[in-house]
Amino acid sequence: MKYLPLILRNVTRNKIRSIFTGSSIAVSLFLVVMLYSFLSVQDANNEASKVHNRIIAMNVQGLTGDVPIAYVDRIRKIEGVRYAVPYSWYGGMYKDDKITFGQFGTDANSIMNVLEEYKLAPEQLAAWKADKTGCVVGSILARNKGWKLGDKVPLKGDIYPVNLEFTVRGIYEGSSSTDREMLWFHFSYLDDSLKEINAPTAGNAGIVMLNAESADIMPDLMKKIDSTFASSDAPVRAMTEKQFQQSFMEMMGNVRGFIRYTSIAVVVALLCVAANTMAMALRERTREIALFKAIGFPQSTILGLFLSEAVAIGLLGGVFGALGAKLLFEVVDFSKWVPGLGWLYVPWSTALAGVALATAIGLVSGIYPAWRAANVSVVEGLRKIV
Amino acid sequence: MSDNHAESIVALLNVSKGFMRDKLEIPVLTNTTLHIPKGDFVAVMGPSGSGKSTLLNLCAGLDRPTTGKVIVNGQDLGELSEARLSKWRSENLGFIFQMYNLMPVLSAQENVELPLMLTPLSRAERRKHAEASLRIVGLSDRADHYPRQLSGGQEQRVAIARALANDPVLLLADEPTGNLDATSAQEVLDLLESLNEQFGVTIIMVTHDPKAARRAKRLLHLEKGSFVQADIEALETSLRGVAR
Ligand SMILES: Nc1ncnc2c1ncn2[C@@H]1O[C@H](COP(=O)(O)OP(=O)(O)OP(=O)(O)O)[C@@H](O)[C@H]1O
Ligand SMILES: [Mg+2]
Repeated sequence: MKYLPLILRNVTRNKIRSIFTGSSIAVSLFLVVMLYSFLSVQDANNEASKVHNRIIAMNVQGLTGDVPIAYVDRIRKIEGVRYAVPYSWYGGMYKDDKITFGQFGTDANSIMNVLEEYKLAPEQLAAWKADKTGCVVGSILARNKGWKLGDKVPLKGDIYPVNLEFTVRGIYEGSSSTDREMLWFHFSYLDDSLKEINAPTAGNAGIVMLNAESADIMPDLMKKIDSTFASSDAPVRAMTEKQFQQSFMEMMGNVRGFIRYTSIAVVVALLCVAANTMAMALRERTREIALFKAIGFPQSTILGLFLSEAVAIGLLGGVFGALGAKLLFEVVDFSKWVPGLGWLYVPWSTALAGVALATAIGLVSGIYPAWRAANVSVVEGLRKIV
Repeated sequence: MSDNHAESIVALLNVSKGFMRDKLEIPVLTNTTLHIPKGDFVAVMGPSGSGKSTLLNLCAGLDRPTTGKVIVNGQDLGELSEARLSKWRSENLGFIFQMYNLMPVLSAQENVELPLMLTPLSRAERRKHAEASLRIVGLSDRADHYPRQLSGGQEQRVAIARALANDPVLLLADEPTGNLDATSAQEVLDLLESLNEQFGVTIIMVTHDPKAARRAKRLLHLEKGSFVQADIEALETSLRGVAR
């Protein structure tokens, strides 16, 4: 390690070039780490929600089909079901918002028992139950919109032909793996408004969400739900919450594959950039390398010096890019600009994997130039006039 | 000149060296035998392309002869692998080049320490050795300067300090004054002379400059592949003739 000062000075000797190479690695790593965090955090959250034994029942046609509201009570009576609630996506627009957020018509009596990891103060729950137009909002959503208890939230119907105005009666909390950007309201408020205008969709819930008494009975329970409504007008398909999330992801296309291939392309591009940097350094320093060898430095040391330099550039880029992404997500709340990203953060494991990836890129990019450096001919190198 | 190569620091025995160019071998040295005794200070002159640098490369084991043996400080260089040759060079030789070849990212002091990185010396010991070398070349006050902050003459003196750092038995200098003005050249030559006289370092110096050659104890002229023992007196007279 007595060569460390020399390596660092070689890294910084052509500052502009090192900065460009380092920043290419940093910026790309930043993106890759973010994309992978998106996947890993989602996986982790899906995994974490498994303990709640939740099942989703939806129309066999998928999310476009409806489930009659009467099914909720029938499902509640099936053995092994603890609580069941309707869960209807309203999709209304708030003021000038371009993107909607999660608004769900549900059942105030049971929703906190189904989504048991969410916390709502008992007096706020009571206030919500007592107000037909009341709603409960997630803490991040409330912060981003500046809503307080008692505030009015007017939403313009987009999917449904009715506008709804809510009053905030509660603000729910949850751990970092929970979605705190949702709005829950009484399903009956939406349904009654639809009945008033004789809308054909009245009397239908989007999906039914329920929790089972234990994990072991879930497969049987899902079969039972399927068979209960198999011969009705609106047959349903029951699936675990995790399967539901995955089918949701698949609707966005093969996101995973896309992220993976994009990342591979980025890594290959970075390898070329970094290798080119080292190749240029090699060309400029042929004389110096020849001198090192003349003085008696063994090939292995020259190989090591060059490789270390490449690794150092990769490592620096990785630290700035990957740890920068981590830091940025800690400091800046992106849900302000991109609703629905409030749950996203960069886990340490993903950030460190990013640093390791950048280091590996440095190492691999340095192998060929370093090998060339170690094999510079002293006689030729010293004759060369740069 | 002694015929017993045991006393010689450098012995070339029937050495030939040629380079292949377009499948044709261009001979540079032909069947040359040369002995340089310990403590000598030899100047090598000769026309451009006559093989002066090639001679130094052979003595340093940086290049291998086509035929013949090169024995330096009792070691037959042909017997050593590349890796052992590297180590051997780091322990026995010092190099000085026309282009100085200092590392621009290292200070004078650090440049001088470079060859000592290959020794088991501690950081503090390396520093002490480097300081001593810089003192010998009279640049103690420039230890922290970087090559770009030094004049050509100072750079060359740092290069000499670097060559001295590992206590070499043989100093190989390829046109050490070739890039210097007259005054700086004088300083460098003074230095080489005193290294030879006071420390007994054997020096082989390639030069194009008769004034530089005159400072050596002996002059070898390389022409058409072999050495001619030249006469410094004759050189002096001819120089005086030129001056007049
Ligand atoms: N690596 C090589 N490949 C091919 N030819 C070479 C090589 N090294 C030297 N030569 C040839 O060998 C001859 C001697 O070269 P050398 O460099 O030893 O000359 P020199 O006496 O040092 O010349 P100068 O005074 O110009 O430095 C030249 O003709 C040169 O072209
Ligand atoms: Mg030469």
